[in-house]
Amino acid sequence: MNALQQEIAQLIIDTLNLEDVTVADISPDLPLFGEGLGLDSVDALELALALQKRYDIRIASDSKDARQHFTTVASLASFVQAQRDACAN
Amino acid sequence: MNEQIAQERHWSAYKERGSLFLMRLTAFSVRVFGRRLLAPVLYLIVLYFFVSARSARRNIGQYQTYLAAWSDHAALRPTPGSVFEQFMAFADNLLDRLDVWRGRLRFEQVQLIDPTGVRARLLRSQHGARGEMLVVTHLGNPDVCRAMAELSERVPLNVLVHNRHVAQFNRLLGEAGDRSMRLIQVSELDTAMMMDLSQRMERGEWLAIAGDRVPLHDARRVTVDFLGHPAAFPQGPWLMAGLLRCPVNLLCCLKVEGHYRIYLDTFLASARWERGQRDEAIRGWVQRYADHLSAQCLIAPRQWFNFYAYWQPVEPPAKKEATHAH
Repeated sequence: MNALQQEIAQLIIDTLNLEDVTVADISPDLPLFGEGLGLDSVDALELALALQKRYDIRIASDSKDARQHFTTVASLASFVQAQRDACAN
Repeated sequence: MNEQIAQERHWSAYKERGSLFLMRLTAFSVRVFGRRLLAPVLYLIVLYFFVSARSARRNIGQYQTYLAAWSDHAALRPTPGSVFEQFMAFADNLLDRLDVWRGRLRFEQVQLIDPTGVRARLLRSQHGARGEMLVVTHLGNPDVCRAMAELSERVPLNVLVHNRHVAQFNRLLGEAGDRSMRLIQVSELDTAMMMDLSQRMERGEWLAIAGDRVPLHDARRVTVDFLGHPAAFPQGPWLMAGLLRCPVNLLCCLKVEGHYRIYLDTFLASARWERGQRDEAIRGWVQRYADHLSAQCLIAPRQWFNFYAYWQPVEPPAKKEATHAH
């Protein structure tokens, strides 16, 4: 797990108040929804808000892409990284 | 409750009776003819509505029956006269709403009942304090938000509505010289909308949203007890408050003895739910809100202006949850 992935895992725990979960429990490839971490659509919304605030990025609403970015911590991290790179250029 | 009632038209199918078109027409007519000349015309329109809309009559009768039984006030039981009275109160209400929209109902004429100091916090937002949420109802005069905007002294108030005619309403407001109130159309909770609202709140703007009407295509609803019978209420306002983690206040404006009273009540110091307890938390808030609403119905029993079948406990077919995400 790289630094950004760890940061995002921690953000998920803090935002959603997952008391009995630690960063180590959220492996980068663990599905966030359904069977994996068990998040739902309102959690996703809450998480999206937190990510936008924290990383100053825009998350397009209701696009298929956006949904794919939210599948795992790894996909979220690469999305955030891509957005930051885009902003930096 | 029989099937016929359950299949009643949804409130949005009424095309906001007395809404945009009427607002425009009457705003124009009031300017030209004055309220005194317009009042009989409006009474005639509402009389026609009373005679022609059997289901609306039945729905109001049902409301009065439930209110009488719930409060144990036999005097509140419906009679043809009492149902008619409620329709006439609606005509009166429309005329008052016009006055509000034209800026005729001044803040000085309105009595403010604010035991928990909501207005003081509203004024604090002028100096950078974070905004809060106001949940309004269709009991009494919800357009009094306009007077609220005045009351807030330049604290911007965003009114969230499901109406598609938002742009036109905003133009109407602009024409009326009102810059502190803005209507925002919400259909579904999405990240862009929530981000925008969150930023507005950080800037000290306030949000107002109705808590008593379930949007047509929104499966996010919760059924609680209202006047002794199960009724569906929207989850949307409460989800929004939880996502924004903001305080929630209740706003209601009733006409009592010919004068408007604005009731402001602090409802939640901060909307938050425990992990995995979201649905329970929201159900609890909505039940408390419905109880508050019941008590306010007793203050102004004839000012309940939801003419559609309000008590429809039928749960909609479960929608695929994930379609709302992101």
